[in-house]
Amino acid sequence: MMERERSAALLFVACLVGLLVGVFEKPASAQAPSPSTDLPAAQNPMVHGLAPLPAGKKVPLADRPPGASAGDGGPSPVIFPAQKLTIRFNHKKHKALGISCTTCHDKARASRVSSDSLLPKATRCDACHGSDHRVRGAVRAGSDLIGQCGFCHIGYRETDGQRTLPFSIPPPNLKFNHAVHLERNIDCAQCHGNVENVELATADQLPRMRGCFGCHQMPVPARGTARGECATCHLTERGGMLRSNFASGTLIPPRWLHNAAHGPDWIERHKAVAGADSQFCSNCHTDKYCMDCHDGRVRPLKVHPNDWLNMHPIAARQNNPDCRSCHHEQSFCLGCHQRAGVTMTGPYANFAGRGNFHPPKAIWTDPPRTSAHHAWEAQRNINACVSCHVERDCAICHATARVGGRGIGGGGIIGQGVNPHPTGFRSRCAGALRRNARPCLVCHDPADPKLLDCR
Amino acid sequence: MLSTALVVLGLGVAPTTAAAYETEVDATTDAQFYTLRSPYGEPTLRRRRYTQTLGLAVYGIQGDSVPYGPELSFKARMRLDVDFGQRIEERDPNRGAQFGDRFVPGLEQAPLDLMYAYLEGRNYAGGYLGFRLGRQYVIDALGMWAFDGALARLTTPVFLQFEALAGFEERGGLPLSTPRWEGDGVYRGDRTGYDYDRWPMFLEAKKPAPAWGFAIETTGVQFVHGRLSYRKVINRDTVVVAPFADAGQGFRTVGGSRVSSERLGYAVRAEANRLGALNGNVVYDFYVQRVSEYRVGLDWYTTDEITLGAEHEYYLPTFDGDSIFNWFSQQGMSTSTGRATFTPSRRFDVGASGGVRTFRTEGNSGQYALNGGDRSETGTLHDLLADLGGRYRWSDGSTGLRGMLETGARGHRVGADLTTNKNFDEGLYDTLLVLSLYDWSDELRPERGVTSFTYVVGGGFYPLEQTRLGLEWEHSINDLVGQRFRVLATLDVAVLR
Repeated sequence: MMERERSAALLFVACLVGLLVGVFEKPASAQAPSPSTDLPAAQNPMVHGLAPLPAGKKVPLADRPPGASAGDGGPSPVIFPAQKLTIRFNHKKHKALGISCTTCHDKARASRVSSDSLLPKATRCDACHGSDHRVRGAVRAGSDLIGQCGFCHIGYRETDGQRTLPFSIPPPNLKFNHAVHLERNIDCAQCHGNVENVELATADQLPRMRGCFGCHQMPVPARGTARGECATCHLTERGGMLRSNFASGTLIPPRWLHNAAHGPDWIERHKAVAGADSQFCSNCHTDKYCMDCHDGRVRPLKVHPNDWLNMHPIAARQNNPDCRSCHHEQSFCLGCHQRAGVTMTGPYANFAGRGNFHPPKAIWTDPPRTSAHHAWEAQRNINACVSCHVERDCAICHATARVGGRGIGGGGIIGQGVNPHPTGFRSRCAGALRRNARPCLVCHDPADPKLLDCR
Repeated sequence: MLSTALVVLGLGVAPTTAAAYETEVDATTDAQFYTLRSPYGEPTLRRRRYTQTLGLAVYGIQGDSVPYGPELSFKARMRLDVDFGQRIEERDPNRGAQFGDRFVPGLEQAPLDLMYAYLEGRNYAGGYLGFRLGRQYVIDALGMWAFDGALARLTTPVFLQFEALAGFEERGGLPLSTPRWEGDGVYRGDRTGYDYDRWPMFLEAKKPAPAWGFAIETTGVQFVHGRLSYRKVINRDTVVVAPFADAGQGFRTVGGSRVSSERLGYAVRAEANRLGALNGNVVYDFYVQRVSEYRVGLDWYTTDEITLGAEHEYYLPTFDGDSIFNWFSQQGMSTSTGRATFTPSRRFDVGASGGVRTFRTEGNSGQYALNGGDRSETGTLHDLLADLGGRYRWSDGSTGLRGMLETGARGHRVGADLTTNKNFDEGLYDTLLVLSLYDWSDELRPERGVTSFTYVVGGGFYPLEQTRLGLEWEHSINDLVGQRFRVLATLDVAVLR
């Protein structure tokens, strides 16, 4: 019994030591095949295949996929989620040995969906590397350096029982049909760049959207299958709208695509893009998305920050932002201003006994027209006036006496209305009168000689 | 809870058997509580708002979906917008004797509107024909607009598509409609129940306003895109002209068809892949017979990280053809800005812009009274403006700063917002924090200048996929209001079938 307990104790201690050794043991390199330190770096296989190019060299632009640019940071990580590459692989070396792309990636010929894995099975490596991957868990290493497990499997340790570090190339958030492209004799390099000049092919060798547009810009009626619509390549949701939210992030257009980079000033810039292309925005956004701001009932904080109720008068006069982008002034603005008593014509009880909103009448409305006269404000930005005033407020003075306007002299019977028309109006008044006489008749009697002049 | 009921109702309408088509029903509920006090102290408006929208979309009505083949879908959204804070005397003209005159023409407590409802077909006739039928939006150089009617789109093999539309403009005085999309500058609505001499300046809007137009747009060319749009809308209601009674205590009216708006616009953008982009637009208003706006912008993709740009914009306010305000617009305003954006990584970007806005007047405001009202000289007033924005995003959140300045002879406004969003528990919860500091002055109303601090804290919870329950608290502190509070509660529910 005592012997059994002692054995158990020894076993426990051995396990503990083993565990501690395991914890503090240095990773794989100790178990990996020893490189020959005598070889120059260029010939030393251990320094190759761990990065696109050895010694941190950058892949020349000519070898990167079409559409790549010097500082683009690779393709979109939203479309191509982050990869875990725990395999040493030297494409350049393999190509130099006369191995073509499809020798290993033969599944590409028949692949019709992007979720297909096009990586070769490990057994494909065995013929040259001398290894034997046929039985999982009982893989046999080759005799040469290149046949050792740790040669290809980064971080491999013999003590881990043939376990390798996780390797993953997540499927792209994209539609892609390799077979169709190959059937059309589209060479791998046309999308992936010159992988034969690269050692480890990383996400940087994956296609760029800008490169796709080399072919995918056929006008819709010209047909063909290389169509330029977003949904040709991008995943869609109901109604054909692009899916833009993924676990890997949110899809936003690059700046070169319709000048539509959704940068920090996009809120000021977006109207230029939306106005020029009737359907571009609707690739990703629903009607509701646009109307939440442009016809919304909840104040968007991005547009109207802080105490907007008190700040908005100065913003409206500055026309920044333009109220009419989202509001109808003679209903939305005026209705609230009438309720709050901030109007000239409105419910009497709401503004009875209040002070002046504008400067005193002697300055604001009466002649002579000083620099603080309302006429200048009206000319600067008439929208600000329209948000509080109805036409009656203006017609009181600007209408001619014969239609009830008070005129310059006041009292409704003396003098002529104050002419608000811009310079050059005479040349346009006939056309305006012909199209719509109503505003003319607000201020002018039908028999007014000035009106007759326009006829 | 009403939203839940509406969704359930929507589900009742939606098919439950297997079908080629897909249905999407969603509802949003917003409840807002805040108080608005007149700058004169009284009246005080208690805003107790409840807004409910209900959306329905059906896709794949055509049957089996074929790539690039015909597609037929239907989309609709209704909205109920209630303000429980309104007082009855604001809507009932006969309560004046009891409460004083507080009647506001056109004010409704619970307007119900159909935001959009259209049947859309795409890729018909071999891919050459598309159409929309029903209430729909149009977005182009002429602005955003909504109408009830039909739009047909013909795509040709020569890089052009043609569009024609006809119908009636959405107008506030009509059932299930808002005035949001009609021409501005006219105070109008449904006058049913009004005596002829009661609020004569509130014009009748009862008859549908016919509208038609066309567009020619490029298609299939990546480096350049342009759209030419023309639209005409006709007013038909008989309305009062001068808002003053004549000797016989009557009001002169005008009726018949007349132009509400008639405009032609063109917008274009052109890109050189790595070099930059050029964009611009111009709008001509046939009623006013003037160019009412134009804009030209240039962007230079200086490096992969830096974009430099410049823009010049001109804007002359124009209005519905029934409005006298068209004839008070004189010189318009123009804005010239330069901008730069720096995007060193996908997580971080920053942008800045600055420029000047020029308001022009006929006559020099400082000299006008002295030089006998000489209107030949153009007076100018300038505002300086600047914006600064930057964002940093990480996997489950972002923080951003937006600052702005506009200052000129009539006052200034300067301030910034710092906004942070963060999700927790893999998006099960989201949070919002906004800190906002602004200072403004109004030279025409010096007593209304103030420095104001506001913070917003909010959060959301997703009890089910596609369902979010949110709450926001907003607190403003400044000398004008002392303390102002606003509470926003939201419930968004979507059911996909």
